[in-house]
Amino acid sequence: MREKATTLYLGPQHPGITGNMMVRLKVEGDTIVKATTEVGYLHRAFEKLQERRNWLQAFTLLCRFCVPEPDPVEESYARAVELLEGREVPERAKYIRVLMLELARMGAYMLWYGGQNGSLGLYTMGQWSVGDRNYILDLFEELTGGRVYHMYIWPGGVRRDLPEGFADKVLRTMDYFEKRLKDYDDLMFDNTIFQKRTQGIGIVPKEKAVEWGVVGPILRGCGIKSDIRIDDPYEVYDKLDFVVPTHEGGDIWSRALVRREEVRQSIRIIRQVIEKMPSGEIYNKIPNPHKWALPKGDAYARTEAVRGEVGMYIVSDGSTHPRRTHFRGAAYVHAITLLEKVLVGANVADVSAIMNSLGTCPPEIER
Amino acid sequence: MMKELKEHIIRRVKANFTEAEENNDFTYDRLDFTVKKEVVPSLLLFLKEEMGFKHLSHASCVDWLEEGELELVFILWSPKDKIKVFVRTRLDRDNPVMDNMDNIWPQLHTYEREFREMFGVQFTGLEAPDEFILEDWQGPPPFRRDFDTAAYAEKTFWHRPGREDAQDVRETIANRDGEDIPDFAKKYSR
Repeated sequence: MREKATTLYLGPQHPGITGNMMVRLKVEGDTIVKATTEVGYLHRAFEKLQERRNWLQAFTLLCRFCVPEPDPVEESYARAVELLEGREVPERAKYIRVLMLELARMGAYMLWYGGQNGSLGLYTMGQWSVGDRNYILDLFEELTGGRVYHMYIWPGGVRRDLPEGFADKVLRTMDYFEKRLKDYDDLMFDNTIFQKRTQGIGIVPKEKAVEWGVVGPILRGCGIKSDIRIDDPYEVYDKLDFVVPTHEGGDIWSRALVRREEVRQSIRIIRQVIEKMPSGEIYNKIPNPHKWALPKGDAYARTEAVRGEVGMYIVSDGSTHPRRTHFRGAAYVHAITLLEKVLVGANVADVSAIMNSLGTCPPEIER
Repeated sequence: MMKELKEHIIRRVKANFTEAEENNDFTYDRLDFTVKKEVVPSLLLFLKEEMGFKHLSHASCVDWLEEGELELVFILWSPKDKIKVFVRTRLDRDNPVMDNMDNIWPQLHTYEREFREMFGVQFTGLEAPDEFILEDWQGPPPFRRDFDTAAYAEKTFWHRPGREDAQDVRETIANRDGEDIPDFAKKYSR
């Protein structure tokens, strides 16, 4: 006998939601038969406000699209501007940018460790990983002056060079994380509760994944090897040796295994960056920002972030201010069209875990 | 190798869509085609199914106010050939109508909803609630260039009575209720 459907509202205020959005769920018993993402709680018109700022002022606002990992947004904007203008970036600056991006990736994954486990009621992991994230934020603070938002990667290079002894601190931090990740394995991946709650849950079908716009670790968790750092290399990723992990299955567990390995690959990349980083300039100085006009045209630069492809599309009409800046975040696809499909047939108790696993980030939907 | 690949794609597109204007100088890692709006769905489908551009990387809408046009831009990526293609079209700004294309990539549904709300582009056949991000919005599409955000904010978000300046809120409440300002608050009152 068919049960009567009930409507549940998950969010916008709910401990299991991943930000300012709501998922309207139609459930029969515990099973979801329809899910609809509702947004509208967060729009700040960042892209519209860019029209009133010059090309340099714009980047201070853009990094605020994403709290956990603002650096890929800065980088994609800086590179889009450089593409449009044809501005060269010093080699050392490119290495420092990669260092920043990989530290940001590790920091964001520390938050993911907490979020993913917290969504299953396993709170200890979050206490550990969010605490450990502070060691990365300490590095950011020393290098850029800011812990969360850095405004450090800007058009032409980076804002300042590495302080004295900074490279050693980074390496010591990496030593710490290498040891610490073993504790994470014991607590999370060897945990029967985590395994049972994630295996076979929130499956993204491999054959539909590319067409549905799935990117990043979610795509790699379907067994498809895809990473912008390899496929469409930027900065100096083509000079670094690292592996793109994949796992078949398409469920939360597979995506967690991919992310587990990616943290280790980030450590590997950071060590190489420190070793190979050349000396030299860090900034190809831009003209007076108030008179700095970009040539007419457009450019799109994309970066591999923890949630997948983030990109910046910029349009110039030849003036000192952007005609249009349009941010592309992975959650624009993952949190709406993908989430609405994946949630059908899922259990109500798994919604938060699935949302965390898909990298749902409402600020990427409403910029 | 990349040059040959680009020439091959351009040849195939031009053979099937003779009116497609190409703007490719071979210095960028991308191809660029401009077509009439009626051709966009067929060209996108052709690029996806025949030429391997399976991934819709991004779509955007740009307001060219001075030219009386809105531009739609679709950025596709070929995972096989590792190349981007830009597909562009222009719409009449006064009557921007376009075919719904969410049957090609489901995620276009979200883009279309946003362009409808923020730029006023109407997508024929788009089945979605009118409201996406905005609520009870009565004004013009707010992402158009002629929408003045500063003027709108001035008109809509007025200062609350009693808060015209940096007045202490405790003083306002005390005055409203005919009470004395608490001693601890007096030193902050102006």
